[in-house]
Amino acid sequence: MTLQIELSGVNKYYGAFHALKNIDLAIEKGSFVALVGPSGCGKSTLLRSLAGLESISTGDLRIAGDLMNSVPPRKRDVAMVFQTYALYPHMTVEQNLTYSLRIRGASKAEMKKAAAEVAATTGLSALLGRYPRELSGGQRQRVAMSRAIIRNPKAFLFDEPLSNLDAALRVHMRKEIRMLHDRLGATSVYVTHDQIEAMTMADHVVVMRDGIIEQQGRPLDLYDRPANKFVAGFIGSPAMNFIPATVGADGLSLVTHVGEPQTIVLDRALDPGRTVTAGLRPEHLHAVDAGQGTFRFPVGIVETTGSATYISTATAPEITIVDTARRSIRAGDVVELSIRPSDVHVFDADTGIRL
Amino acid sequence: MKRLLSSITDGKGFDIALVAFPLGYLFLMSGLPLLYNVVMSFQEVDMFSLGSFWRPFVGLKNYRDLFAQPETLPILYNTGIFVAASIAGQFLLGFGLALFFWTNFPGASWLRGLFLVSWVMPGLVVGAIWNWILSGDFGVLNFLLRETGIIDGNIFWRSDPNFSLWAVIIANIWLGMAFNMILLSVGLSAIPKDLYEAAELDGANAFQRFWTITLPMMRSTIGAIISLGLIFTLQQFDLFAAITSGGPNNSSNVTQYWAWDLSFRQYDFAKGATISVIMIVFVMFASVVYVRSTRHEVRG
Repeated sequence: MTLQIELSGVNKYYGAFHALKNIDLAIEKGSFVALVGPSGCGKSTLLRSLAGLESISTGDLRIAGDLMNSVPPRKRDVAMVFQTYALYPHMTVEQNLTYSLRIRGASKAEMKKAAAEVAATTGLSALLGRYPRELSGGQRQRVAMSRAIIRNPKAFLFDEPLSNLDAALRVHMRKEIRMLHDRLGATSVYVTHDQIEAMTMADHVVVMRDGIIEQQGRPLDLYDRPANKFVAGFIGSPAMNFIPATVGADGLSLVTHVGEPQTIVLDRALDPGRTVTAGLRPEHLHAVDAGQGTFRFPVGIVETTGSATYISTATAPEITIVDTARRSIRAGDVVELSIRPSDVHVFDADTGIRL
Repeated sequence: MKRLLSSITDGKGFDIALVAFPLGYLFLMSGLPLLYNVVMSFQEVDMFSLGSFWRPFVGLKNYRDLFAQPETLPILYNTGIFVAASIAGQFLLGFGLALFFWTNFPGASWLRGLFLVSWVMPGLVVGAIWNWILSGDFGVLNFLLRETGIIDGNIFWRSDPNFSLWAVIIANIWLGMAFNMILLSVGLSAIPKDLYEAAELDGANAFQRFWTITLPMMRSTIGAIISLGLIFTLQQFDLFAAITSGGPNNSSNVTQYWAWDLSFRQYDFAKGATISVIMIVFVMFASVVYVRSTRHEVRG
């Protein structure tokens, strides 16, 4: 596979503030990469650096093999979809779409043809004569994407494009963006703070925090083998439960320190007596009949959504369990749980690194 | 009766009262004098009939007399030059400064505030300062032009008929430039930054961004500022009084100064009123443009 975007040792400083710390990232041609992390983690700065809207302080940035460090945005041949859409309010949809062609001096007929083609693929044909203020949020979103598509750029950059849409439309546009990406064979970099968006859309997820890449890889690898406690807590919904524990004397079990000490069996050996944090995903904890589980907790709150029941324990820290079996569990009961040894994540209590 | 009273404290009556006060004030202080002025332009007015409203009606005689006077057309022409050159100078320099301060270098907002000084100063004071700058023998403007080799001999800005109008125009551009700059700065800062970023990524260079984003997005601001400029330059009186008094030989005279001169120095009130009516027509036109351009805001 050829690399479309390549960052090596990229640093970005704003005065004394170190916004991007030694970023190494290789993006293959045709792949969909999601940059995800909490706000202020540097994901938008990284995206804007790819576009050239921010300059990088040190390191190399290559797009399609060419060094881009000091190339101005207009010569990078990348297209960006902004969170606010950034449609030109004084132009019609058609003029918005063809703006880049007009700048390049394309003929009227050429522009009309290109606009009609793109509008047909994104369902904007009937709206070409309208102004942005006359469009709904979803339609504006489509115009913003079409404006990028019409240029056939080396890479598409998305800066939280769905955050201004309502929940239902967001789910719909998620699929639409991914389908467009596949059909165009494009290379896309997608910034979001929503891990669900990252997991569902991307081939490759990059989790960032405080200007560093905490972990990158395929979505399921991140879910199955999070490199540290931060990634473990960030990926997955509801979030992973973290329980203070000690490795048992046999080295093959954990003794938890939530309420009464209880034992969780491991599938691998660790140093006996070591202080650790156990990570248990809510969907991996199974409520079972009395006598069949390995550990038990008093129930605090039960929330039913129909498809699943969310059980929160009356312990500190609180433990969340997702139950899909419609058990009749009520607040005040004691819930008995089991978990497969291979589903137990263990992190160092101090560094948070996976053990 | 009770319903009427309660509607004044809570309801339509209150709204009407709120509107009635400013409307009444406007009618009393602006509307009536305006109408009185229009009526006067159709009457024969002299010092003895000044006190009464029922003066002899003479139809369009004042207008015919006015245009029969040899100085009328040159003065109207001067007014046109004065308005056009002042607005062009104020707008272009103001826009240039607004763009300059928009780059937001350290101290930009502080310096921009300092520019407002020119707008705060009374026209008469500005006129006095420019009298010194423009002075033929020891003026600093002549000194600069001479030292840079642009002119050979001194220009007597205020007494040379070829330059007298331009002396006032230069001072007026200085006076109005800051106001233009502030309004245009506001317009510039109202354009979302991401539009420029989008245009930049779409391949537009700085000039293309200015031409395709800045100017069209500023259309309503520019319309407003030019019509306000028209109104303000047609009001400009102090500078003429301070710098040239309309002379020499009416070479720098404009309608607004002439109207005052006719009414209150030559006591020809009817002609003064007639000129004012002609100016009202122009200002009304500018007001319509202003109101329309502020109504058609193009935003997001």
